Amino acid sequence: MDYTFDWSPIWNNRDLIAEGLLITIALSLVALVFALVVGVLVGTVSASKSRIGRLVAGVFVECMRNVPLLIHMYFWYMALAFLRLPAFSCAVLGLTLYSSAYVAEVVRAGIGGVSRGQTQAAQATGLSPLKVRFLIVYPQALRNIAPSLASLSSQLIKDSSLASVIAVGELTYQAGAIEGQTFRTFEVYITIALLYLALVLCVSRGILALPGMRHAPRVAADA
Amino acid sequence: MPDVILKNLPFLMSGLGNTLLLAFIGIVGGTATGLILAILRHLRVPVLGRVALLYTEIVRGIPLLVMLFICYFALPALFGYRSGAFQASALGFVLFIAAYLAEEFRSGLRSIRTGLEQAGLATGLRPAQVFRLIILPQALRRSVPPVFSQYVRLLKFTSVASVIGVSELTGSALLVNAREFEPVIILTMTALTYLVICSILSFIGRVLYAQLQIRT
Amino acid sequence: MSQSPKIAIRSLSKSYGATEVLHDCSIDVGQGEIVVVCGPSGSGKSTLIKCINGLEPYQKGSLTFEGIEVGGAKTDLPQLRSRIGMVFQSFELYPHMTALRNVMLAQIHVLGRSKSEAISRSMQLLDRVGLAEHASAYPANLSGGQQQRVAIARALALDPDVMLFDEPTSALDPEMINEVLDVMTRLARDGMTMVVVTHEMGFARKVATRVVFMDGGRIVEDRPTEAFFSAPETERAKEFLSRIITH
Repeated sequence: MDYTFDWSPIWNNRDLIAEGLLITIALSLVALVFALVVGVLVGTVSASKSRIGRLVAGVFVECMRNVPLLIHMYFWYMALAFLRLPAFSCAVLGLTLYSSAYVAEVVRAGIGGVSRGQTQAAQATGLSPLKVRFLIVYPQALRNIAPSLASLSSQLIKDSSLASVIAVGELTYQAGAIEGQTFRTFEVYITIALLYLALVLCVSRGILALPGMRHAPRVAADA
Repeated sequence: MPDVILKNLPFLMSGLGNTLLLAFIGIVGGTATGLILAILRHLRVPVLGRVALLYTEIVRGIPLLVMLFICYFALPALFGYRSGAFQASALGFVLFIAAYLAEEFRSGLRSIRTGLEQAGLATGLRPAQVFRLIILPQALRRSVPPVFSQYVRLLKFTSVASVIGVSELTGSALLVNAREFEPVIILTMTALTYLVICSILSFIGRVLYAQLQIRT
Repeated sequence: MSQSPKIAIRSLSKSYGATEVLHDCSIDVGQGEIVVVCGPSGSGKSTLIKCINGLEPYQKGSLTFEGIEVGGAKTDLPQLRSRIGMVFQSFELYPHMTALRNVMLAQIHVLGRSKSEAISRSMQLLDRVGLAEHASAYPANLSGGQQQRVAIARALALDPDVMLFDEPTSALDPEMINEVLDVMTRLARDGMTMVVVTHEMGFARKVATRVVFMDGGRIVEDRPTEAFFSAPETERAKEFLSRIITH
């Protein structure tokens, strides 16, 4: 191993890296919000009683998640080329559609995990169906699926690196640019790997610390 | 089938072949590595167990694309060897998916009740026999569904190898598109191909699980 | 009971961190004795019985099986355990193996019996617990009572000197309790040395030679069956009996 390390190009390009990091965060955040909205809707439909609804939701989920994200990126970038959308929007679209399928599956399982007795008990007290959903079912489902949502969110951040192929100036893209100018291959990729790692750790820990994401403390069971 | 596809079919098929080969290497190598990592952690092997934990935590925090860049550019630069894009991506897939598979295997191992372990020990089996005959077979069965969804993820992820210049399915499709410029048709057909092979792989997983699950 | 006891427990204490779960327990179990251990939940009965085959370690006192210290550093636990059969509250059959394979496993891997030997011995035992026709069934397809009887056959397959039962009927539906107790009663009649943790006082009265009553990690009473049931010495035992028997 006769590689001489030189970290100065990384420091000299800190502005590019910071910009890339910021775009990665923005891209992930926007896509996450959209993916949650779409995913909760689709997941609710696929946990519903409507057979057609379940079928449509199922087809959506299978089609979105069985196609590589990279193909999503290229497809929305090239297929919508006539709209002249900025690459960032295409990346958001691709990430949203791809991730929402995963969110939908998690939400479906979460709703399914709330016992029917809970719904019936709530209905028996005269709550309207919508209130049953928002006051009883969703809060319980949310606690159950919080760990999955946290890992989906960190997955989404990592996935956002693929936006670099359609020239969105996020972290991976900037890394490529810096590497191209400085040839400090190892230093560049280790740096951004560490940045992703830090980002993912913050998000996965952070989400679980949000209120409503954790189970209410249980009374210690009698031994 | 559209003309653009028919005309370039042999080329696209060789791309599909590379995709399947990469996925196969990743599945075999990743499963073996992942299982070893999971066992090291589950049995709390001194030092190595910690190393396995560190490895899985780090790799699961890094995007696949960055992992491939590291395997293609950074590691060869650091250790002074040359690597083709195909070998580098195969290495990257194995290293990458092993970390995720290790997590799945480990939660499979953890899901086996301690009562069963005690029952095995109570009949005089040695701890290693209990692990091999009772814990591991059940943990592997239970791991089939999550492990197969990781396999499907890996199959989709092989497309990322195109970014470092491997002509697998996505790479070939992009090359064809560069010549023909029919992105909607070409990418749709590519997407459908992935849809089909991913569905087949998940189907295999479900059948396998059902076979193993008939009685339990 | 003139010869030295099979199992000798002397001043045994065990704690998890600061909480003591067994305190200064002493019991002897002689050849052919049937000792029933009872007491309220959390009294340490299960922990005590699991100390006998070394599934639970202990910190103070001594516990010997045929003179061998179970907790000794050089004790060959697998060898020792192969001579002590154990039946668990929740059966703990291996779910990925048929009833027959459950009974065969330790014979092959511990005793080194040949496959055909193991099969014929296992079938004999399954027949003895009335389940020969279910040999190829998987645990999930057996009722709780059937599973527990397979578990008894599995424990007997090692031809043990002593059988330990840890609340063998607590996880069973009421209508299945008797089929398991019947098997245990027959075993007792055949002269097996047994330590049984159970709440089944009818079984205790009919089969036990001695009853040990535990509370709060201590052995409160250790008396011949007749004496225990007719005139329990302590208030706690009286209270326990009245609660269990009135139901």
